[in-house]
Amino acid sequence: MMDKEFCGRTRRQFLWEMGAGFVGTAMAGMFEDSFFAKQSLAADGVTPYAPPKLGKGGKAPMIPAKAKSVIFLYMYGGPSQIDTFDYKPGMKGMDGKTINVKTFGRGGHKNQGRIVEPKFEFKQYGQCGKWVSSLFPNLATCVDDIAFLHSMTADSPIHGSAMLQMNSGKILSGSPCIGSWVNYGLGSVNENLPGFVVMLDPRGGPISGPKNWSSGYMPATYQATVVSATDTPILDLRRPDELRDVDQRKILDTLKAYNSEHERPRSDNSNLAARIESYELAYRMQAAAPEATDLHSEPEHIRELYGLNDKRTEVFGRQCLMARRMVERGVRFIQIYSGGAHVDSTWDAHNDLVENHSLHAGETDKPIAGLIKDLKQRGLLDETLIVWGGEFGRQPTAEYAVGTGRDHNAYGFTMWMAGGGVKGGVSVGQTDELGSKAVEDPLKVKHLHATILHQMGLDQNRLTYFYGGLNQKLVGVEGAEPIKQII
Amino acid sequence: MRMNRITFSQLWRVGVASSLGLLAVSAAVPVLSGPPAKNPNADNNAFYETKVRPILTARCLTCHTGAGGSGGLDLTDRAAILKGGESGAAVNLSKNADSLILRFINYHESRKMPPQGKIPQPEIDVLTKWVAMGLPMTAKKVSSAGSATGSFHGPPKVNAETKNFWAFRPVKRPAVPAVKNMAWVRNPMDAFVLAKLEKNNLMPAPPLGKAAWLRRVTYDLIGLPPTPEETKAFLVDTAPNAYEKVVDRLLASPHYGEKWGRHWLDLVRYAETNSFERDGAKPFAYRYRDYVIKSLNDDKPYDVFIKEQLAGDELDKVTPETLTATGYYRLGQWDDEPADPEQARYDELDDIVATTGQTMLGLTVNCARCHDHKLDPIPQKDYYRMLAFFQNVRRYQQGGWERNDVTALRVIATEEERKSFSGAEVAWKAKLDPFNKAITTVEKKVSATFVPVEVEEFRDEAKRPEIIKKRIPTLITEAEYTEYLKNVEARNALRDNPPPGLTRALGVVEGDISAPATHVLLRGNPHVPGQEVTPGFLSVLSPPDPEISPNADGSSSGRRRALAEWIASPKNPLTARVMANRLFQHHFGRGIVRSTSNFGRLGDTPTHPELLDFLATELVKNNWRLKPMHRMMTLSTAYRMSSQGNKTALAKDPENNLLWRVDMRRLTAEEVRDSILAVNGTLNRTLYGPSVYPRIPKEVLAGQSVPGSGWDVNSGPEQQTRRSIYTHIKRSLALPILASFDAADTDFTCPVRFATTQPTQALSMLNSPFLGQQAADFAALLQKQAGDDPKAQVLLGLWRALQRPPTEKEIARGMAFFRDMTQESNISQKEALRRYCLVLLNLNEFMYLD
Repeated sequence: MMDKEFCGRTRRQFLWEMGAGFVGTAMAGMFEDSFFAKQSLAADGVTPYAPPKLGKGGKAPMIPAKAKSVIFLYMYGGPSQIDTFDYKPGMKGMDGKTINVKTFGRGGHKNQGRIVEPKFEFKQYGQCGKWVSSLFPNLATCVDDIAFLHSMTADSPIHGSAMLQMNSGKILSGSPCIGSWVNYGLGSVNENLPGFVVMLDPRGGPISGPKNWSSGYMPATYQATVVSATDTPILDLRRPDELRDVDQRKILDTLKAYNSEHERPRSDNSNLAARIESYELAYRMQAAAPEATDLHSEPEHIRELYGLNDKRTEVFGRQCLMARRMVERGVRFIQIYSGGAHVDSTWDAHNDLVENHSLHAGETDKPIAGLIKDLKQRGLLDETLIVWGGEFGRQPTAEYAVGTGRDHNAYGFTMWMAGGGVKGGVSVGQTDELGSKAVEDPLKVKHLHATILHQMGLDQNRLTYFYGGLNQKLVGVEGAEPIKQII
Repeated sequence: MRMNRITFSQLWRVGVASSLGLLAVSAAVPVLSGPPAKNPNADNNAFYETKVRPILTARCLTCHTGAGGSGGLDLTDRAAILKGGESGAAVNLSKNADSLILRFINYHESRKMPPQGKIPQPEIDVLTKWVAMGLPMTAKKVSSAGSATGSFHGPPKVNAETKNFWAFRPVKRPAVPAVKNMAWVRNPMDAFVLAKLEKNNLMPAPPLGKAAWLRRVTYDLIGLPPTPEETKAFLVDTAPNAYEKVVDRLLASPHYGEKWGRHWLDLVRYAETNSFERDGAKPFAYRYRDYVIKSLNDDKPYDVFIKEQLAGDELDKVTPETLTATGYYRLGQWDDEPADPEQARYDELDDIVATTGQTMLGLTVNCARCHDHKLDPIPQKDYYRMLAFFQNVRRYQQGGWERNDVTALRVIATEEERKSFSGAEVAWKAKLDPFNKAITTVEKKVSATFVPVEVEEFRDEAKRPEIIKKRIPTLITEAEYTEYLKNVEARNALRDNPPPGLTRALGVVEGDISAPATHVLLRGNPHVPGQEVTPGFLSVLSPPDPEISPNADGSSSGRRRALAEWIASPKNPLTARVMANRLFQHHFGRGIVRSTSNFGRLGDTPTHPELLDFLATELVKNNWRLKPMHRMMTLSTAYRMSSQGNKTALAKDPENNLLWRVDMRRLTAEEVRDSILAVNGTLNRTLYGPSVYPRIPKEVLAGQSVPGSGWDVNSGPEQQTRRSIYTHIKRSLALPILASFDAADTDFTCPVRFATTQPTQALSMLNSPFLGQQAADFAALLQKQAGDDPKAQVLLGLWRALQRPPTEKEIARGMAFFRDMTQESNISQKEALRRYCLVLLNLNEFMYLD
């Protein structure tokens, strides 16, 4: 019966309890393996489910994994490709010229526009000779570790729906985000920390807020935990100040005594034991999570590397450094937002492109470069996949009659990946001579997602979750192949 | 049957279908189908077998196999290829290069195949050569039954066999089975349960203790714990009808509608905002919520309940209540800024088809949006025929709620209200008009000179003065500007204080009787309309033709009424079964069909098919009223079984499919929060009304792009403790305690809740300021009611939290905790009590029902 439940729920309840969520591994030990083996199926919905090896390690990947963790550096608002990594020398000197070019942004469809030429100087870097704009002097030194995707496209040029697509594959809300899929597929390796973490720009959350890290139709276990760079990194993690540790322990011990007595004649209901254990996990998390995010033990040269000594880069640097520490402790998927709230607090440069991009690139350039270098020197870059980009890019033309502001552009934009088994120093795809649309090897968001899952050891076309009468996939019913040129 | 389905669904799930196609082909006998190939010799067949077939198998056949191949294209059969699919013939033998298959694989068309990525050039070359050779193909093996094995998969057809699927057969009242142990049978329901157990040599679990039964039934019917007084009274009530009295009391409680209304709201994806960037509030959504609660409290027949929601504006008697019911259509997501408006429109319609199909019919009709349903006999055409019933529903409008007065709001005012309002409104408008005129005059004077950025900014009223000011003195004078500002200020003050409007509700509007044409959309693509269809019911259910008569006043097409009448008919084999099953689900922890919104072939088969049909006929016999059904279920011996496990039964039927016990259940999210408030005495039991906004920690609000936006922090203290069903449901911001205990996600219909166990739940139950406050309120109540004696406090606390008499041991443990806290930790008695209350609110027994 359990193999054909509605919406995968009955089966999935076992699944998440067994292998995923940060309570998973602890609970696995409580159950008879054979009991679950009989009625559970693996994530592909077909393979009889084998309980994970107890202890550390989560579930076995479906295919050989290159990466163990993902850090998604989310440039909220949409960075302009031609001002960052998509070098368009032909546009030099064309400033102000009106040309025919099809664009589609928040201002609707247009057939003509006034060119705003790339506003930053480009120089060549690295052995690969990659052209990078002056917005990223530090990151430019890492180009040989980076695979650039210049031909990204998205289905919507509107923030709300495009962000949902970048995070969950769908332009409608209600589907699990990629971090949920990764944790659903791989389980947790550190039961004391969440497997899917989001860090926000202190200016605010993104449009649609928590929908961007929701687990949609999957259990709430798979949604992201918001981690902040304060001494209470996770909501309700901190024991109330007036309560001493020894007293909290007494509360927990008394609770356990009551609960154990209640559980004894009901031992066939494993949920009761799981709930008892969840309090012990919570207790341990109170110590583990602050330790993971506490940067005091980091030496001066590391703090400097991430830009913690400069007010401008301190916040993002702190988040990048926290991300590295979480990766070291087995967190599967970490997303850091650059940009929060609306318009110029984000990369959404409708007004003054130079001012806007100088601000956001300035805040993130050094920390990102620091992260790559630090992971590399620790031998962690190979197993940590870094993804950089926003929900779309920007147009080559001006949004208004005056000024340098650019409207949204989902027809072509740049993202990049580094580490996690991705080739360095390569560039895939091209936009036209204006950077207005992808013309060579156009890539969809699902190809990006497919690549991330693939590097994590998940078969993107077989990682399914049965919901609403359908085996749902992050990459959609038709499936998608990873971007072969970079793996 | 089961094996077939599993095999098929496995194939379909992972795309092993292609390997099956391979088997079928390789076992082929060399007989050609379709027109003969140019040169059908052995070499050509070898070329096909060794070069072409592996490519097709690897790249194409997963989707394009059999009669139901994607886009109607079957690549396993030569004739089928020449016939082609929705886009036309796949191969053009006279003009090879024009063959669609080659154009698609070369990515020369907007449709690109395979969609995952272009196949390598050598493979394209092979397929090009194959077409040039005249498409040589070895034929499929013909099975002994005479049908080609290669086409057995693909969507099931609507035929005598598929119509005979259990859920599609008419409901027939089964005979009540005979059982050995007649003493166990309180009502016919018990006989169905016991007969199965006896047949399988399983003993039913012993009866539950009285207190535990009271707890179970109270939660199941009103979603709240029994009070200690209620428990004490029931424990000493030895009257033969003691149980009946309890059930009747609970069914008469207005809290019944709150509990069961929430089940319905899950199904209709109830939320009060639109999602997407602005996640704007839906005005008066709460009136729909109140309609649901009140309908249940009134024990409105379920068939009427359906008709009012689907067609409350098209019924013979349209009332404020039936108009409010049509808020049903407005509960879903709505993108106010879609990238593809046509797509968004069909997404909205799909949301209605999906919700209606799954909730009322227990069928995933929505799976047939892009192609025939893969597993159920629901052709794509049937999907669009069902969608056609909704085609004339007007959509939300861009540009704020004033404009939606016309399309999504209905006036539900009484006559007196209308009269008194019209006078007040005329007076108000008369005052407003002169200001508006003066303001517009000034704005018109300057607007011609705006540069585009100003046009954009001028849309924002707040920015207008600044833009106008720049035109001094060229276009307007300083004095005119000052006057303008004064007028704006006066106008705004007046405008913000209109006379109270006519009572309105969120509802459906058609506005005329002629619906636009509905087409089958090829591959679900709104830009590729196919055949035109008329409204029609699902053909597998052998329905009559819909009888559609427009509203006499010309306000509506009458289509939805026809659909509603068909769904709410006792002849519909699904409606009563689906609802009876949901009633069973929420009393016994799972449906007789566990997949309560999927009665199709991928759904679960009923564990007790006869019982299901008995309950379905019983529901109709009771004139579709739910309360007699609750009464029968909760007063059955089956419902009185304990949750106690026993080795034999656990070994034989660990999933409790035979219903040898009632499974334990965790409280739902709403029950968790409501119980905390009930137990500590702070629950505000006010019924109905606009939604309330319990405080949300600022750390959670920080996740919004504008922290706090759309969350009215001004809900007063007494509003903070309303029942959870009255809290505002915002798609992009959930109340943490509800989200954490698995409240329904609001984007899609939700038939079964999760019940997860996570350490973050423990963290918030231990450390959150909310719980800290609730524990303090609990302590204050104990102090007030039990006085200063710790033992009396512990006793009362345990009573309230567990709703049963505590044991000596449990009291002693509480006393020991007190002693430790006050003596060893040296904290005040008051704080010790608060901490003990925190323990109580965290007990497993508090969270789980036996």
